[in-house]
Amino acid sequence: MTLEAEVQSLRQVPMFRDIDPARLKLLAFTSERVQFSDGQRFFSQGDASDAAYVILDGRAHVLLNTPGGEITVAELGDNALVGEMGILSDSPRSATIMAAEPTTALRIDKRVFLELLAQFPQMSLAVMRELAQRLERTNAQLVAQSSS
Amino acid sequence: MDKSLFRYIWKHSKRDQLIVCGVVLASQPFYFMSLDLPRQIVNEAIQGEAFRDGNVTAPFLSLGFELPEWLGGASVQIFEGFQLSRVGLLFGLSSLFLLFVIINGAFKYWINVSKGVLGERMLRRLRFDLFSMVLRFTPEALRTVKSSETATIIKDEVEPIGGFIGDAFITPVFLTMQALTALFFIMVQNVWLGLLALGVVMIQIVIIPRLRRELLRLGRERQLASRELAGRVGEVLDGIEVVHVHNAHSWERAEIGNRLFTLFDIRVKIYNRKFLVKFLNNFLSQLTPFFFYAIGGYFALRGTLDIGQLVAVISAYRELPPPLKELIDWDQQRLDVQVKYDQVTQHFAEERLAPLVEAREEAAQDEPLVGPLVAEELQLSDSHGGAILDNASFAIELPARLALISAGSPAASITARILARRIPGFGGHIRIGDRDLMRLPPSVAGRRIAYAGIDPILFPGTIRDNVVYGLRFKPLGQREEDRREAERRVAEAIRTGNPVESISDQWIDYSQFGVGNADEFDRLLVDLLSRIGMGNEMYLFGLAGRLDPEKDPDLAGRFVEARRRLHETFQASGMEGLVEPFDADRYNDQATVAENLLFGVPTTSELKGRNLAENNEFRSAIDKAELTRDLVRMGLQIAETMTEIFEGLPPGHSLFEQFSFVGAEELPEFEAILRRHPHLDDDMDRDDQVRLLSLPLAYVEARHRLGLLDDKLRGKLVRARALVRETLEKDGSAGVEFYDPERVCSAAPLRDNLLFGRISYRVANARVRVSEAISTVVKELGLLEEIQRIGLDQQVGTAGRLLTPQERASVSLARCLVKRPDILIVDGALAPFDEARSQQMTELLMELTEQRSLFMVLPNDRQAGSFDIQMRFRDGQITAEKTGSRAPGADEPPAAAQTMEGEVA
Repeated sequence: MTLEAEVQSLRQVPMFRDIDPARLKLLAFTSERVQFSDGQRFFSQGDASDAAYVILDGRAHVLLNTPGGEITVAELGDNALVGEMGILSDSPRSATIMAAEPTTALRIDKRVFLELLAQFPQMSLAVMRELAQRLERTNAQLVAQSSS
Repeated sequence: MDKSLFRYIWKHSKRDQLIVCGVVLASQPFYFMSLDLPRQIVNEAIQGEAFRDGNVTAPFLSLGFELPEWLGGASVQIFEGFQLSRVGLLFGLSSLFLLFVIINGAFKYWINVSKGVLGERMLRRLRFDLFSMVLRFTPEALRTVKSSETATIIKDEVEPIGGFIGDAFITPVFLTMQALTALFFIMVQNVWLGLLALGVVMIQIVIIPRLRRELLRLGRERQLASRELAGRVGEVLDGIEVVHVHNAHSWERAEIGNRLFTLFDIRVKIYNRKFLVKFLNNFLSQLTPFFFYAIGGYFALRGTLDIGQLVAVISAYRELPPPLKELIDWDQQRLDVQVKYDQVTQHFAEERLAPLVEAREEAAQDEPLVGPLVAEELQLSDSHGGAILDNASFAIELPARLALISAGSPAASITARILARRIPGFGGHIRIGDRDLMRLPPSVAGRRIAYAGIDPILFPGTIRDNVVYGLRFKPLGQREEDRREAERRVAEAIRTGNPVESISDQWIDYSQFGVGNADEFDRLLVDLLSRIGMGNEMYLFGLAGRLDPEKDPDLAGRFVEARRRLHETFQASGMEGLVEPFDADRYNDQATVAENLLFGVPTTSELKGRNLAENNEFRSAIDKAELTRDLVRMGLQIAETMTEIFEGLPPGHSLFEQFSFVGAEELPEFEAILRRHPHLDDDMDRDDQVRLLSLPLAYVEARHRLGLLDDKLRGKLVRARALVRETLEKDGSAGVEFYDPERVCSAAPLRDNLLFGRISYRVANARVRVSEAISTVVKELGLLEEIQRIGLDQQVGTAGRLLTPQERASVSLARCLVKRPDILIVDGALAPFDEARSQQMTELLMELTEQRSLFMVLPNDRQAGSFDIQMRFRDGQITAEKTGSRAPGADEPPAAAQTMEGEVA
């Protein structure tokens, strides 16, 4: 798998969909491709947020700490972006991500990511658009819940 | 220092000066002979005067002299000479001429070498004397002395003085002799021509130096201005942070620019004057030949002077101006150097220096500093005249652990500095037993008192060098050195008033610490540093350090063993993917292409980094391996990608430095190359090739993921290794230390040696997990201490800048502790540590100073409970109380209640 393939994966991520290919390439180039073995954690709930990950190949579980122990709340598959909220809001990890099988991911370093955002307004806009859309969806869900 | 340079020179080198002068005098007859020979050749051999009376032969080499008239006028013949024909005489005389040329040359050679050596010896003495004075600067003088200026003086300003010293006496003697000989010779030939030459010479000698006085004044000005420039540059560099913080670049630039203009201006004035004088001088020199040709020719036409004489006079006159010119130059130089010398002696003026330290060892006084410590009527004012200590007295019994509680007043730190003998100018007395603290010989004080101030002062060198700095009192003379070299070194040192001790000798008395050799002593140091909390740092420094297997083959063997064990651990615990080991037959995806090709670590800078692409041997090897085309193609692809993805980033952006193969300033160049060669073609010039080649050499497939390597190319690269090695090893030293699984590579850090491979970029958290594995194996095999010992070789950098503030403070404390002083004074040395760590350190210091004395300045009495005695400062008075004798709650007044002394109008 080469840089080109990673760029293709990044392109599937909604947040990065509208970004210039050259910028995506830079993003991929400045990221690290890492492998997690089955059961290895990307990070744990409460850790400091130092990177975001895009799953290139494999599956990962989202786990939450509860009084009754950790429970799986979601599963992430190919091209899923995870951990980006933590690095944008500078808050600790809100959940644990654990590989559910041998998984390859692209690790986007927080500092590098923020620098790219600062350097290229187009990337910031893409991120904002995605966040706004998420907010809109959440609002819609809230409305749906309260009316039901 | 003598006020007069000439007295200084004469005092220290009169013997050598006289010897050289003697040789100069001895050389003069030969010089005169070589002047006279041309006349003989022309007159006797060519014009045939010796054969005038129909003689077929003439005597050659006949030696004799004629007695003056008043002695009877008889001629005495010593050697009758050989009878030679005309041609024979010509060749005979010419050969004689050649012989004298050689003799004169030999004399000149000897004289020049001796002068050079003499000058260099005096320069060495002068520099050493100046440095000795640097050590004697008083604290008051140190406030105004700039270090960079002093360094310039010792290094640069005395250099011309040294150059002059060899010439100081000899040159005037030699040149005057030469000039007089030539003049005398001309006189002998023709008195009038001689007088004429003398007249012009006199004009030169009188006028030229006068014109040059102004030059000297300018020279002095220039010396001061350039010394200040050096000082200013040093200051800016020392305070560079402030310049950056306050954005004072423009001001500093303008300031230096102005200074440079002043320098330029003075130089221009010097040039104008100098070359005017030169012009005049040249003119006067050429005036004499004019007279010679005109008047001498006239005499020759009239027949009162023969042609041979005229030729000889003119050729003798050719010899006259150079010594004369040099003589005038010498005079100029003399004044110039005297000015420089005066400037130097002013800088080291007597009033700026402390009295000469007595080097005499006073063994009788060297007893432990214990017993009653009594301070009487201590008195010290600050710079505004306010009293810091006002008739303060105290008495305590040593050894004791004292807390000097400052509570915001400077008196605690001042008292600590007084006790450490850092402030000589205080009033009152301090006695330990019946000894006056200030009268202790420096050797005793240096050994028995240690002071750790707020600024840890570290010298460039290794951590070890810095920690043992206080233990180097005198060499033990246990070094094996070449007898003859040693004798030469010592003889030179004695001749120049330098110390005869050698720094390569063993200066540390290991037996004093109960250890036998340097290795065991290292363990002691590691132990001490670990106790003061530098254990982990020393381990990390050690892992980054290097080990020379030649020096310590046993240890190298153990590291190879550890390497094996580490790989077994990886295999056994399913971590084999974490590290890709170096394998002579496999391409390592985690390493650069260059490393894969070399399969080793370069030891010369020619093979490091980008220089590799320019190295001819390396290039010919990859040519032979038919790799050049592949690598250049890779280079093109990398350049293409880099120019594409880094375009639009401003130059200097941190992403460039971190990720790019190409510096921001190079992007346009690579774009130009790509425009010239969009595809790989054969007519690429060497420069472009080198540039492109440098890119793939730094390429790591697993990290950069451009997909440039396939298995075929990998195979080719692996096969090229042998060829590269063979080519590089062809002329002896390869410049690369090749990897060998059974050997430690001394060019690579210890960490790489343990891994013998590269950590995978592909596995998450590989670095942390590998570090843990290394640490486990190291502990299992008992190598931790050995690695920490290697960590002692870590360089601290200028002023310790390669260390963190905490590390600097720790090293400085270790330097004090390793001396095991009777009295340890800690004045703010724990400032870089946080409260918890500082509490820990305090406890540790208490523990390490068991049965000794510890004086520690504390900001408040929160940590003072464990000290034997608490010392408080109020209104210039000192009170010392045993801990516990004071009711809790009766604390000192708040620091804000300080009086503002000295502010009274």
